[in-house]
Amino acid sequence: MRTTSVGSYPKIPDLPAPGRWRSAAEKLQRGEITREEFRRVEDEVTREAIADQVEAGLDLITDGQIRWEDGQTYFARRMSGFSIDGLQRWFDTNVYYRQPVAEGPVTWREPITVEDYRFARQHSPKPVKPVVTGPYTLARLSQNRFYSTLGEFVLALARALNRELRALDAESPPLVQVDEPAILHHPEDLPLFREAVAALLEGVRSPVALYTYFGDARKLLAAFADMPFAVIGLDFAAGPRNWDALEAEGFPPDRRLGFGVLDARNTRLETVDEVLRALDRLSRVVPLERVDLGPSAGLEFLPRRAARAKLVRLAEVKRAALEVTR
Amino acid sequence: MSELPLFPTTTVGSFPKPPYLLEARRKWLRGQIEPEALRELERQATREWIQRQEELGLDVLVDGEMYRGDMVAYFADELEGFAIAGLVRSYGNRYYPKPVVTGPVGRKRPITVEWFRFAQSLTGKPVKGMLTGPYTIAEWSFNEYYPTRRELVMELARAIHEEAVDLERAGARFIQIDEPAIHTRPDEDFDLAREAMEIVTEGLSAYTITHVCYGDVPRIYPKMLDLPVHQIDLALKNEDFALLEVFRRHPFTKDIGLGVVDAHSHRAESAEEVLDGIRRSLEVFEPRQVYVSPDCGLKTRTTEETVAKLRAMVEGARRARDELGLRA
Repeated sequence: MRTTSVGSYPKIPDLPAPGRWRSAAEKLQRGEITREEFRRVEDEVTREAIADQVEAGLDLITDGQIRWEDGQTYFARRMSGFSIDGLQRWFDTNVYYRQPVAEGPVTWREPITVEDYRFARQHSPKPVKPVVTGPYTLARLSQNRFYSTLGEFVLALARALNRELRALDAESPPLVQVDEPAILHHPEDLPLFREAVAALLEGVRSPVALYTYFGDARKLLAAFADMPFAVIGLDFAAGPRNWDALEAEGFPPDRRLGFGVLDARNTRLETVDEVLRALDRLSRVVPLERVDLGPSAGLEFLPRRAARAKLVRLAEVKRAALEVTR
Repeated sequence: MSELPLFPTTTVGSFPKPPYLLEARRKWLRGQIEPEALRELERQATREWIQRQEELGLDVLVDGEMYRGDMVAYFADELEGFAIAGLVRSYGNRYYPKPVVTGPVGRKRPITVEWFRFAQSLTGKPVKGMLTGPYTIAEWSFNEYYPTRRELVMELARAIHEEAVDLERAGARFIQIDEPAIHTRPDEDFDLAREAMEIVTEGLSAYTITHVCYGDVPRIYPKMLDLPVHQIDLALKNEDFALLEVFRRHPFTKDIGLGVVDAHSHRAESAEEVLDGIRRSLEVFEPRQVYVSPDCGLKTRTTEETVAKLRAMVEGARRARDELGLRA
C-alpha cells in the first residue's frame, strides 16, 4: 500500500501565523513586488507543503499546487486560444475559479507543469507526481466560443495536453495524475471521453493515474478499467456508491486503486479504526498492495491544521494496516 | 407597503467598513482594544451609513453590517454548537473564516435584534432585518456533528426562525434571509432549502425577502418561486440581464429585487444605465413587482464607489417613475 495526496494543499498557515503567500499576492496586485519576488514566496510555500507531506510520512506527494490559482486558469493561461473571464462556482464547493473562454483554436505553446515539477522533485526526498487537469474537465469548466461542438473542443484540448504529458515524459516522473472529476456528472459523454483519453495518452510513456472526485463512477468504472491508466482514483467520501460499483463490477487485477477515503472537505478526522474497517472491506475486492491510500480530493478546502492532520492520519492508517496484516 | 414609492430602492445588506473600523477590528483581533471600544466605533460607522442612505434617498435601509466580519461566521460565532476551524480560500487570495459544527446548534440569545433596534432608532425609514439562511450557514460550514446535512439545516432553520420572530417583535417590517448557497446542489438539495425556508418564515407578518447570487439560477427556476418569501432578490446586472430570458419563459410570480448595479466592479454605473435596466425588466415584470437594488452586498467596494453606484441607482429609479408618470 502506498499513501499519497491527491493535489492541492492550503497555501496559508493557521492564524495567528502571518499568511506570507496571501500578503505577497496582495503586494503583487498592488505592484509593490515583482513577479520574480512573488515566485520566491511561492517557492518557499511549496517547500512547506512538501515538508508537511514528507513529515507526515506520505510515500508519494504533490507540490501542493501552491502556484495554481485554480485547476483551470493554471493551464488555460499558458495555452493559446483562451481568455480568462468571471468567477464561477467550482462544482458543489464554495470555491470559485475564473472561467477560461476558448476564443480561438486552443493549442499547447510551452511546458506548463514541467518547471514546477522539477522544483518540487529537487526539494523532496520522496517521489513527486505532477498533476494535470484532464481535457474533458477543462472543456466542461470553460466557455466555448470557438468550436462548434463540445467534442471538437475536448479533442483539441486532449491534443494540447498530450504535448504537456510528453514534455513531462522527459522528466521521467513516477506517475502523472490526470484529474477528470467532470466526467462523473456526464456519463453519457463516455464515448467522447474515451476518444479524448486515447488522444491524451498517445505516445505517452509515463504511467498515468486517472483521478475523479466529488461523486461516484458507478456508470463509468468498467469503462475506466478498459483505458490504459495505471491508477484509477475514486472518491469514497462524496461518492459512497463507489462501493457499489467496486463490489458489483470488481476491479481489474493489473491496476492500482486510488482509494480516496479521508474526506478532504470536512475537518472531522476519521479514526484509524474507521479507515481500517474500510480497508478491510476494500481488501475483498482489491488487494491492499495495489491501493494508493489518500484523501478524497485536494486538501485546500481545509484549514492547514486540519489538512496536516489528514496527512498524518493516512500514514498512521498505513502503519496500523501493516500491523494487522503482519 | 403602501408608503413606499413605485420601484422602491434598497440594498442587499453590507457596506464597506470605514478605515478607522478596519483598523480597530485588526487591533481587537490582536487583543489590543476593548470590545466596548470596538462596539462604539461600529455604532459610529452604522450612524454614518444610515445618514448616507437617507441622503442618497434610499427607501428601505440596512444597518450596513459594520459589526459583522463574514455573513456565515458572524452567525456561527453567535450560535451554539459552532467553532471557527480556520481560514479557507474562496478564490484568488480571498479567504474566509470557515465555521465548524461541533455540537447541537441553537440560539443562545437574540443575535441581530439589538443592532436592528439601534439602526431603526436613527431613521424614520424602514430598516431591514438581515439574516443568513440556514442552508447557506450549513453549506458554508464543516459539519463534524450531525449525521446528515438535513438534520443540521433543519436545526439551523429553527434557530433562524426564532431570530426572525424576535426581529419582527422589535418592529422589523422587512426581513431578508440570504441564501446565496441555495443552488450549490440544485437537484439534490433544493427541496431541503425550501423546507428550511418554510420553517424560517412560518407565521411571520413581515415582508420577507431572500437574496440569491452567483451560480446557476436557471437551474432552480421556476421551482425557486416556491420559496415562501414575498421577494427574491437577484443579481441581474452581473450578466447583463440575461436572466430576463429565463423569466420570460415562465412568469415570475413574486416581487423581484432587481440587481441593477454590479457589486464587484469598480466602475459606477450611470443613472441612464440603471434606467435602461429597469426598462428592460418591465418587459417581464409588472412595475409593482420591482424593487431596485445592487447585485449583491457592497462591502468589497470603497465608500466612494458605493456612494456613486447608489446615487446612480436612486436616480435611475426616480427617472423610471417619472417615465411611467407615476412618481410617488
